[in-house]
Amino acid sequence: MSAPAAASRRRSSPWRAFLRDREGMSGLIVLTLFGLVAIFASLLADPAGLEVTKADGPLAAAPSWDYPLGTDHAGRSVLTMVIHGSQVTLLVGLAATVISMLLGTLIGIASGHFSGLFGGALNRFTEWFLVIPYLPLAIVLATVFPPDVPKLIAVIIVIGVTSWSGTARLVRAQTMAIEARPYLERARALGGGHWHQMSRHVLPNVMPLVLANTTLTVSIAIIAETTLSFLGLGDPLRVSWGRVLDEAYALGAIDRGAWWWVLGPGVAVVLVVRAFNMCGRALERILDPRLEGRS
Amino acid sequence: MSSTPSAPRSWLTNQSVRRLRAGVALAAAAALTALGALASPAAADGTPTPGSSAQRSKTSFVIGVKQDIDSLNPYVGVVASAFETYQLMYDYLTTSSAGDFSPEPWLAEKWETSADGKTWTFHIRKGVKWSDGVDLTAKDVVYTFQRAKDDETANGQYSNYVDNITKISATDDHTVVMETENPSPIMLRLAVPILPEHVWSKISAKDAGTFANDKNVVGSGPFQLAEAKKGQFYRFSANKQHFAGAPKIDELIFTVFADDSALSQALKQGEIDMAQDLPAAIADTLVNTPGITVNDAKYYGFNEIGYNLGAATTDGKAIGDGHPALKDKQVRLAIDHAIDRKTLVSKVLSGHGTTATGVIPPIYADTHWNPGSAERAFDLAKANSILDAAGYAKGADGIRAKGGKALKFRLFGRDSSEYSKQSVEYVRSWLKEIGIDAVVSIMSEDNLTAVLGKGEFDLFEWGWVVEPDPDFQLSVMTCDQRSYEEDGEIAAGWSDSFYCNEAFDKLYAQQQTMIDAKARAEVIKQAQQILYDDVAYSLTYYYNQTEAYRSDRFTGFVPQPSQGGILAFQYGTHSYRNIMPVAERPADEDSGPGVVLYVVGGVVLLVIVAGVVLVLARRKNADDRE
Repeated sequence: MSAPAAASRRRSSPWRAFLRDREGMSGLIVLTLFGLVAIFASLLADPAGLEVTKADGPLAAAPSWDYPLGTDHAGRSVLTMVIHGSQVTLLVGLAATVISMLLGTLIGIASGHFSGLFGGALNRFTEWFLVIPYLPLAIVLATVFPPDVPKLIAVIIVIGVTSWSGTARLVRAQTMAIEARPYLERARALGGGHWHQMSRHVLPNVMPLVLANTTLTVSIAIIAETTLSFLGLGDPLRVSWGRVLDEAYALGAIDRGAWWWVLGPGVAVVLVVRAFNMCGRALERILDPRLEGRS
Repeated sequence: MSSTPSAPRSWLTNQSVRRLRAGVALAAAAALTALGALASPAAADGTPTPGSSAQRSKTSFVIGVKQDIDSLNPYVGVVASAFETYQLMYDYLTTSSAGDFSPEPWLAEKWETSADGKTWTFHIRKGVKWSDGVDLTAKDVVYTFQRAKDDETANGQYSNYVDNITKISATDDHTVVMETENPSPIMLRLAVPILPEHVWSKISAKDAGTFANDKNVVGSGPFQLAEAKKGQFYRFSANKQHFAGAPKIDELIFTVFADDSALSQALKQGEIDMAQDLPAAIADTLVNTPGITVNDAKYYGFNEIGYNLGAATTDGKAIGDGHPALKDKQVRLAIDHAIDRKTLVSKVLSGHGTTATGVIPPIYADTHWNPGSAERAFDLAKANSILDAAGYAKGADGIRAKGGKALKFRLFGRDSSEYSKQSVEYVRSWLKEIGIDAVVSIMSEDNLTAVLGKGEFDLFEWGWVVEPDPDFQLSVMTCDQRSYEEDGEIAAGWSDSFYCNEAFDKLYAQQQTMIDAKARAEVIKQAQQILYDDVAYSLTYYYNQTEAYRSDRFTGFVPQPSQGGILAFQYGTHSYRNIMPVAERPADEDSGPGVVLYVVGGVVLLVIVAGVVLVLARRKNADDRE
């Protein structure tokens, strides 16, 4: 980062600042736990437990020592499904966020940098995505996706392209603030092209904002994945938390009073989303110079 | 539901709509929704219930359905609930008996057939009046059938009943004579609603396709439309002058619900008197509710795993991109042995159904065929050895291949059906055990219909609802029902397997002209055996239809068939005409287990709300701090 030397000494260790941030740390601990669970899912719970034909538990049974979170309609352990579901949920959440951040940053910087017709058009485009109710758009996109594209990829793309507009707005504002600074005028006077200005001067300055925003976007993407899966638009053959909730709802968990069926995945979603939020807010505090100046 | 070739598929198709709609309505809070709905499932659904206690001065029987009626115009509607309304509003020449589906006199009180079986004389009941007071005569019958032959819209709906008829005439006011090209057993099952000439002659052929028929409907049936609000409710008042006897209730109301949970809650609360077609899992929760009786009825549908048996047009031109190995009977035989139907019934259907073999369900006892002791058993070892013997060797990855082509099949399921999604999951898992890689995709029924027609599939899961007369169901497997070419485009027939077997076609043609029911049944059974021996389909199960009703309020239902049959949506109006209220007694609303559920749901919801409030409050503080 090309920040002045004094400032860089002052925030010499954003990591140490993060360590001191109780909210950020507790979020990070929760995330690390879920990350480990996702990575070592197959060690924690035998993936054979996901196969309906191999499940041998009682059908839709309440939690017991053998099945700490109960079982579903096919006699599979809900705990096993929550453990393996974390893989898809986190994967979709993170991958969709990457798409969303790339799009948001690119369009945000470009629309802030270019004035005139091009910048204006990009800005209107962003606003158009902002005002369209997000869920119907996602549903329509997920429905019209060609069937030969794997559902998992389709969901990632759908969430990615429907959630970038907020980031783009933020980045655009920041870009315009940075572009007003004298050193950019200098860069222009020295003949720096658009690409040079955007990549060497604007991007490094909006990066902290983008990073902080990323963690917040992940939580939105995870909720979106859960929502789409719950509506039956996710990948129906891969276990994800949303898919478990969808099955629970469709197969009458409510009427059966099978609370354990929704509790596990529900709490998992809440925890992960909250943890990403906490990390995001901590990062925001540490990385955003304006917030730091005030605190 | 009444019989029409388009009904079977659409019956399934139109159930699909509700899931998504229900989901969207509830989507607001994503993951929390399930918990939110736990607390107030009934409130989540905004469906008005016109039959609620305030309006119960008349005896109204309210049925909750999940399938909206697409059109009240009998030339237009395709869904089962639409055909249900035609049965209420209009009469047919014959009806299917409540006991065993055999044809029974209805508007035609008797009939004669000529010796060659080609001329039919129907004697129309005397003294039947339309709801506007005009007499119903043979002229109306002639008009109805003539229009079903001539009018393009009407013919689209009823062609399979009338196309064989060459001449229709009325010899007097109460006698109709029909001449047919070939003798046909279907002449006693002409499911064409008789319409009043003096009303429908004013509706031109051009308008027939768009006429709503939702106001001032003139009919002769046991119930007449009083009020229709599309997507909400349909109110029918009893025709106390009906020739079959005055219905014992004053009103019959269909209320449309968005999802299963709302439907079952409405029944518990007493807003409706019957919930039609509940999923087994939900119906099971109602079994011990006082005042509610669950009727787990045998039904006339089956589901199957279908194969692409070599997609081709009727001219024999190959189309699509099906896996060639599926033309090999040994491969299909192995797959058939790898499907554990008992597990599908016990786990997917929660035991509400039976394992399936012949394409005519056992509810039609006369024409149903099953292999008996020769039934192919679930046996993975045998399936493996069949494939070994047929030369499909396992590769390093555990997938079998022959001649360099791996046994990797696409397996399509339907997104609208939980049963379908689950079934393909089980089948995929079993196929893995025998070295077959099934790549599953779940798609909408519309999409599936399209790829089936084009032959761009390998395996799929779907089902049929079978009419009392087996003709249509068998026709699906004939060569003629394969896709055909029209203006350079591939148009789909009814076939979804591209099955084509001369021996089968011969039997099909033979039964079409057989009037003797016993002899015809034998031919129909032979035809089913051919399908089973060829593994044209791998039938999975015959499913039950589950209805739940307020037995503390109504009684007198007439099941069809009499042993364990369904109570509503029958072939005919047997139940509707005989339902009567039970003697007055205080209704005990609300039940024990529900309360516990509400408390648990409420507590969970409270904890979450508290958590959210806490978080928001903290965030606000944090904002202040910054």
